[in-house]
Amino acid sequence: MGRNEIRLRRQRTTARGIDRFRNYNSVLERHEQTQRLKKIMRVFGFFVVILIVIMMIIFLSRWEERGTESNSHGMNVASSVVIKT
Amino acid sequence: MSEDEIRQEEAIILQAKKDPKAFGVLYEKYFDRIYFYLLRQTDEEELAGDLCAQTFVNALNNLKRYELRGVPFSAWLYKIASNEVNKHFRKNKGKKVFSIEEVRIKELVAQSDDSWDEELIQRLIEFMKDLPLDMLQVLELRFYEDRDFKEIAYILDITESGAKMRTYRALDKLRKNFKLKVKYDG
Repeated sequence: MGRNEIRLRRQRTTARGIDRFRNYNSVLERHEQTQRLKKIMRVFGFFVVILIVIMMIIFLSRWEERGTESNSHGMNVASSVVIKT
Repeated sequence: MSEDEIRQEEAIILQAKKDPKAFGVLYEKYFDRIYFYLLRQTDEEELAGDLCAQTFVNALNNLKRYELRGVPFSAWLYKIASNEVNKHFRKNKGKKVFSIEEVRIKELVAQSDDSWDEELIQRLIEFMKDLPLDMLQVLELRFYEDRDFKEIAYILDITESGAKMRTYRALDKLRKNFKLKVKYDG
């Protein structure tokens, strides 16, 4: 079992000196910054999704085109073989 | 905390969900408590200040998701603060510190003959060093932060009966080892 680190404070901690850490405006500012960043990330994510969808559509249409091209090429070859025989 | 105070806080929270500036009232109300809670766990004023600010930023960021669950709003803040401390020590591979005021130890344990001496305090500290971490956390929240068992359970993500059991076990150990009267009205 690991030993805990216990430190003894001889004097009671007081509110004196704590005020230098009390700054609601800075908390609010950090919150707004986080919200802005979240918004940017959301918009960025939205564009990435749209980009992926567009790329998939392009890829699928090209793949389909190639499929029909090879089909028609195959049919041409088959018909020429039939003519020769 | 009275019903009226809880209702007032609820109103502020609802308002703050729309306008974060309204949260300032709760910030002012709980800043000291959260700061000292963090200071007791870090023993560094600057670090406690930073973690305290981060606690309130996180609270503001997640305020829209906050739901009332039968515990005061402060319990939610304690939970965020506790997570922040754990995150800090995990990240820096440090060990959690429990900084205890001498006065508070004396308040917790009532010596019948007032014979507090340095040796007894040191023995108590040595004893606490070997207490399981979960017991120490419960003792800290119960006796130094004055949280009730329901709140402790919520803060530490355990059941209420689990929080009670840990406290009783820790106090039992304390009584057996030191033959002291522990102030406890359970």
